[in-house]
Amino acid sequence: MMVNEGEKVMTVAIGWVIRLRHADAREWEEFAAWLEADPRHLQAYEEVAAADEGLDALPPREVRAAEVAAEADVRAEPVPRRKVLGWAIAASVVGLAGYASLDTATDHYAVETIAGERRVVALADGSRIELNGDTKVALDRRTPRYARLERGEALFTVVHDASSPFRVEAGDADIEDLGTVFNVTRAGEVVGVEVAEGEVAVASGGQRAHLTPGMGVRAEGKRLTPSRRDPASVGDWKRGLLSYSSASYEQIAQDLFRNAGLGVQVDPELRERRFSGVIILGPDKSVLMARVAALLTVKARPAGEGWLLVPAEQ
Amino acid sequence: MAGGIEAVFLSNREALLRFLRARGAGTDAEDLLQELWLKVSAAPARPVAEPLGYLYRMANNLMLDQRRSEGRRKLREFEWTARDTARPSGVPDITSAERVLAARQQVKAFEDALAGLGERTETIFRRYRLDGVPQGEIAREYSISVSAVEKHLQRAYRALVQLRGQLDAE
Repeated sequence: MMVNEGEKVMTVAIGWVIRLRHADAREWEEFAAWLEADPRHLQAYEEVAAADEGLDALPPREVRAAEVAAEADVRAEPVPRRKVLGWAIAASVVGLAGYASLDTATDHYAVETIAGERRVVALADGSRIELNGDTKVALDRRTPRYARLERGEALFTVVHDASSPFRVEAGDADIEDLGTVFNVTRAGEVVGVEVAEGEVAVASGGQRAHLTPGMGVRAEGKRLTPSRRDPASVGDWKRGLLSYSSASYEQIAQDLFRNAGLGVQVDPELRERRFSGVIILGPDKSVLMARVAALLTVKARPAGEGWLLVPAEQ
Repeated sequence: MAGGIEAVFLSNREALLRFLRARGAGTDAEDLLQELWLKVSAAPARPVAEPLGYLYRMANNLMLDQRRSEGRRKLREFEWTARDTARPSGVPDITSAERVLAARQQVKAFEDALAGLGERTETIFRRYRLDGVPQGEIAREYSISVSAVEKHLQRAYRALVQLRGQLDAE
């Protein structure tokens, strides 16, 4: 019985670490109440949180092979692990500067935002990357004309250099600027590119597309689907505007999460529906949902932590 | 002139203090709340979708930072002792190169532990924790239920907690 009890507490603690990644105020309060209920709860949570923290040092899968090769020569002799030091060392090195400091061959770092947050990264060459919410961009100090969009959305304003084009990698897609302002989104394996100024080359799965202002493309592995957007509205999210021309409701739901931290699910019944128009993001989340529902002519029902969009007649 | 998130902070002061105490801040809770306030009031104004949730997250991060710096302090004390007893003064026991290598071994241990869980659990865990894909989306990708995704995540976390326990004991 005692063993079972400890196991149960651990399961709940892990559940909290998982939930708290996207928690709202109510969930944080529930978490506090759970902690207060029994001192062992805090201990279990700390244990899981500590293990979770170590994961920040893991490089993403695609760069792993190259880094293992770079590591091979440095790691000729294994370092004896010493009592007490093992984790403290990892925590101090990782904690101070992220994975960047672990690698002598490259200088990787990542910039990340939570849903609803915005950040601007100024690069050494004068280029600028504006990150929308729930976005992660991986950079390398030694390769300043390169960025990898791990997820989310970013607007790139790139200083053109014909001898060294700026490259953005997003999933399978490779985006090369030919002098430019362009917006890139990534949700899983689906990558979207839109050009405001200049010219961009996109390559994905052996397919290539050349984009000029007003042109866009949606890349999903080998499939490139062209799209169009008024160049003046590219990166509009920066100004708190979401503008669409026949966008799926799924896509709008993704944007609402990224921009406003609003969790929205779409009823399968609405899969075929498309929206053209502009959603103005305001400061008040509850009002925003009501406005969006009216614009999309759907009903928004509270569901779990977020909302479910269903046809208005339901 | 407190606006937006600052106003939310002020009207939820007690709840945040209670959170810090529950989170193990003990007698430092008031100081940490003060630190949180300084961070909030110094940050450039920007729209935050869920200000109170955001404040709780910041408070939780303060506690995580706190624990990390405690770890660093212990490490310094340990080095100090090792140096005084076994080494000529001024020569640190652990070089920074060794630290980097040891940290890499930890990363390797994590990766091995994840790989040991089997392809499916590893991939689902990486999608969730490293790619930041929400559980619901992963469930759709794999055509499994959200609770099945949670089971994979539970298994992975359990293995990592155990691994960390082992490394700490070494």
